[in-house]
Amino acid sequence: MHPNVSQGCQGGCATCSDYNGCLSCKPRLFFVLERIGMKQIGVCLSSCPSGYYGTRYPDINKCAKCKADCDTCFTRNFCTKCKSGFYLNSGKCLEKCPDGLEANNHTMECTSIVH
Amino acid sequence: VQKAIIRVIPLKVEPIVLEGEFASVAEVTPAEGKLLQSHPLSLCNTSEDEHTESGFITIVKLEQPDRDPNPCLSLANKAKLAGERGARAILFDITDDESAADQLRKPRGLSQPVVLIRGHDAELLMGVVNKNREAHVKIEVKEPPAWPDYDVWIL
Repeated sequence: MHPNVSQGCQGGCATCSDYNGCLSCKPRLFFVLERIGMKQIGVCLSSCPSGYYGTRYPDINKCAKCKADCDTCFTRNFCTKCKSGFYLNSGKCLEKCPDGLEANNHTMECTSIVH
Repeated sequence: VQKAIIRVIPLKVEPIVLEGEFASVAEVTPAEGKLLQSHPLSLCNTSEDEHTESGFITIVKLEQPDRDPNPCLSLANKAKLAGERGARAILFDITDDESAADQLRKPRGLSQPVVLIRGHDAELLMGVVNKNREAHVKIEVKEPPAWPDYDVWIL
């Protein structure tokens, strides 16, 4: 398939090619890099997959990975659910809650100490 | 132009021997490692690649220039970034972007070799990539022929 605009493009691609998959996305969609074995292709999604957050740039909307200790995040620096073994505190993932807060092993968050 | 021999050794399949040319943006030096494709847009500061191991050989299929009017980085900086992310060498398929050869001519002393490949050789290499068949790649410096090519021989 010769590189072309829409014919034969996957889902939300605006432009694509045989080897690289999507090169650009239709408006409002997010561009995600997907690695399948040795290959790496571009994919266009309406929202970022779990473990990624979306950023809108002037020429492209991109998904990027959350930090290593974070499962789901709003931005790179604001986590909404930490990985196992970490407690969520104000968008950060901590191995130990700071003084004055206690670790809630049910919600895996740091919470105020109830007297 | 320094020629490169590229030996592609897919798992359980006959090896293929291709030819490319070393770009003077980087050192002319042999390299080997596992072949890994990188999307052109993955080599941007705003992108990451889940692949974290190092010691691989990156192949990037460049698209026609008009398909990426505002590249995030120059090709030289993309090659540099690939090296920083663990690539032992960067292969650029420039079949659809001959301007890449000029962009990668200015020496920058990059330590990982940058090899340009085009045409039928590139097609064969991308065929391996497209089949997503794990492959090992050896890049060698092609020695010039013992006897220089003379147009006229005196007998």
